[in-house]
Amino acid sequence: MKSAQMKNILRKNTITFILLIMVVLLAVFARGFLSVNNLLSILRSMAIIGVAAFGMTMVIIGGEIDLSIGSTIGLSAVLTAWVAKQLQGALGADWAVIIGMAVAILAAALVGLFNGFIRVRFNIPSFIITLAMLNVLYGLAAILSSGFPITISAQWFNVIGAGRIIKTGGFSGLPVASIWLVLIFLIVFVVMNRTRFGREVYAVGGNQEASRLSGVNIAKVKIITMVVSQVTAAISGIILASQVLSGSPQFGRGYETDVISAVIIGGASLSGGLGRTTGTLFGILFLGVILNGMTLLGVDDYVKYVVRGSLILLAVILNTIQTQKARHTL
Amino acid sequence: MSKLIIRNVSKQFPGTLALNDVSAAFESGQVNALVGKNGSGKSTLVKIISGAQPATSGQVFLDDQEMVFHSPEDAIEKGIATVYQELSLVPGLTVAENILLGRFPMKGPFIDWEQTFAQAEAHLKSMGVDINPRTPVHELAMWQCQIVEIVKAMSTNPKVILLDEPTSSLSRSETEILFNLIRELRKKDVVILYISHRLQELWEIADSCTVLRDGLLVGREMMADMSQQTLIRLMFGDVEIRQRPADLSFDERDVILRVNNLENGPRVRGVSFEVRKGEILGIAGMLGSGRTELLRALYGADKPTGGTVEFVGRTIRRAAPVKTKALGIGFTPEDRKVDGLVQILPVKDNLILASLKRQSVGPFISREKEKAAVDAQVRNLDIKVSAVGSAVSELSGGNQQKVVVGNWLNNQPTLMLFDEPSRGIDVQSKQHIFKIIWDMARQGISSIVVSSELEELLEVCHRVLIMRYGLIEGEIVPENTSIEELYSLCIGGDDL
Repeated sequence: MKSAQMKNILRKNTITFILLIMVVLLAVFARGFLSVNNLLSILRSMAIIGVAAFGMTMVIIGGEIDLSIGSTIGLSAVLTAWVAKQLQGALGADWAVIIGMAVAILAAALVGLFNGFIRVRFNIPSFIITLAMLNVLYGLAAILSSGFPITISAQWFNVIGAGRIIKTGGFSGLPVASIWLVLIFLIVFVVMNRTRFGREVYAVGGNQEASRLSGVNIAKVKIITMVVSQVTAAISGIILASQVLSGSPQFGRGYETDVISAVIIGGASLSGGLGRTTGTLFGILFLGVILNGMTLLGVDDYVKYVVRGSLILLAVILNTIQTQKARHTL
Repeated sequence: MSKLIIRNVSKQFPGTLALNDVSAAFESGQVNALVGKNGSGKSTLVKIISGAQPATSGQVFLDDQEMVFHSPEDAIEKGIATVYQELSLVPGLTVAENILLGRFPMKGPFIDWEQTFAQAEAHLKSMGVDINPRTPVHELAMWQCQIVEIVKAMSTNPKVILLDEPTSSLSRSETEILFNLIRELRKKDVVILYISHRLQELWEIADSCTVLRDGLLVGREMMADMSQQTLIRLMFGDVEIRQRPADLSFDERDVILRVNNLENGPRVRGVSFEVRKGEILGIAGMLGSGRTELLRALYGADKPTGGTVEFVGRTIRRAAPVKTKALGIGFTPEDRKVDGLVQILPVKDNLILASLKRQSVGPFISREKEKAAVDAQVRNLDIKVSAVGSAVSELSGGNQQKVVVGNWLNNQPTLMLFDEPSRGIDVQSKQHIFKIIWDMARQGISSIVVSSELEELLEVCHRVLIMRYGLIEGEIVPENTSIEELYSLCIGGDDL
């Protein structure tokens, strides 16, 4: 009985154990891995992927997907910088960038609305809609910026993505970027676990027809989740623009892979209805630890890609086996 | 001539003996109908013959050779072909590809398309079917698919062909075309077993008729020698219909629902009726009569294509679940496993899905309200569950159905639409579901119940409407109607 229970716990938390083992190995072999500063820098480096991943969590639990967010990150960075540049003369650099951010977020919300509308109106898989939008949005960003980075002159803007607060002697300060990560996590966590809407997202993802017949407005649920994923991606884009004080259409290229990976490693099912916000937080940390550890160990960049891809595949295989077993024992 | 012999076949399921020592012989050259109401053992017998399930005891012989199957494929190889009511064609492929799927004529490593189309055409021709083998299946009408399905089955040169409800989704004229095809089959050396709910058809198409009831073979006659009355009596035996409790009354003048000429595509063609507060209305009809589609149009699960619905004084336009739910209508779908529950969510989430708004304060779900609503249903409906947090898929059929009903009761409906509420649940749970419906009626909640179990409608309802081919063709009161009368009204018999 005891050992069976242990086995069960091990099986249910295989990925957690892999993470723990990795942390222990890195603590032993990678100098400086366990230092507070390094752990905080993992959080900071994962903020961009992480913020978008929480929006993606809602979409995936709702049974949809958003592949266009990589381009949304680029477009929102470009929009922030472009609007800031246009308005700088009239309003001054500070207000110009603030309006730039607002425009970027609003534009992303409209894109999400459009994606969601096409999804429910024509009943086209979100996979295809957002794959198309991945190209459209990248093109728009490139047209707007003529393909070159646009610099942002308001220096304080740098604080959003690269700032640190509460600095003391040996402590290099809390990265502001990680605050956004935690904030978005908390909001999505509360929405998914405490609100009516969150429950509807789970229900629609778990069984669309049963939800519809229970009088749930499934069109509304789908559209809102797709808006949320675009908005969180836009916030990621703004954080990225802030870190380098510019906006370029190249920003965010390919990020959708990491974002979706984090959600899937966190245990969400691509068929919908299954997944946890805390799981995604875990997935983000998992990815962050792998990347950080490999950097500390001086692993070659190309090798990093192989390792990272393989680990994602492994995580998904383990998750799938678990859910299948869970469904069988149900 | 081929002969299929069933000798002393029994099938034991946990708790029930589905087939009890059944023996029969079927010959080629005639259409052998297999008849029985739900739960008679008819489907089990079909499954045993087609190799989908083994018998517990007894044997099946085909031309004096004992048939033992290791899989349904094995059965096909041994000459048994089955045409199921759910079509199994691949919509994206052509008719020819579907007919020859898995056994294409080859030219080296490549498919010989010329041969494929020629062979398919030959198969179609030999059955007198005029369908172009190059047509993609998704362009065909339902009845054409059914025909292709039969041609496909016949192309393997079977000794036995099982036709399981081939007409259930066809209109009268389409059925005629299918019958011509089946008459063609009679000329071939193949044993035809024909299963249908539409008894009326049998006199048109079948030569002999074998009746099962409660797992027993109760009669076997030539159709020519059998009257409709005898057939129905054989099917039902002596059933004792229980009476609903006497205290269930309602006010004739208190009409809450007025349906005028409601339409739902070709399946519901203009239906009108009224329901009063606290009334339980039954809708009877054969498979394909439009009874399910009527409920779905009423609730808005399917968009009605015509007619008006007036509910508690308000006219419902463009009915949709969100709207009808808000007005106080609830709907439990026919297939509760697939459409009624979110299987991967826990029992408690499934119990408040329809009433999330009531369990919330602003956008937030109130834990107290949620818990109260969940506990109330678990207690009142006596849902057997170890923990409300466990997955709903762990529950038995009866308890799952109670969850579906509880989900709606939490939204305090004024009218409940039940589609096959007792399907696939045990006798005790059935009685419990009926009791819930009666209790609701006592509180003034009206119900419309669709069921293929006629004795249940007679037991549960105040009044029963009879549907045939998308129209209401009659109305009865259980007090002065026997089950035989109701059944023959459903099949549209004239000689009773």
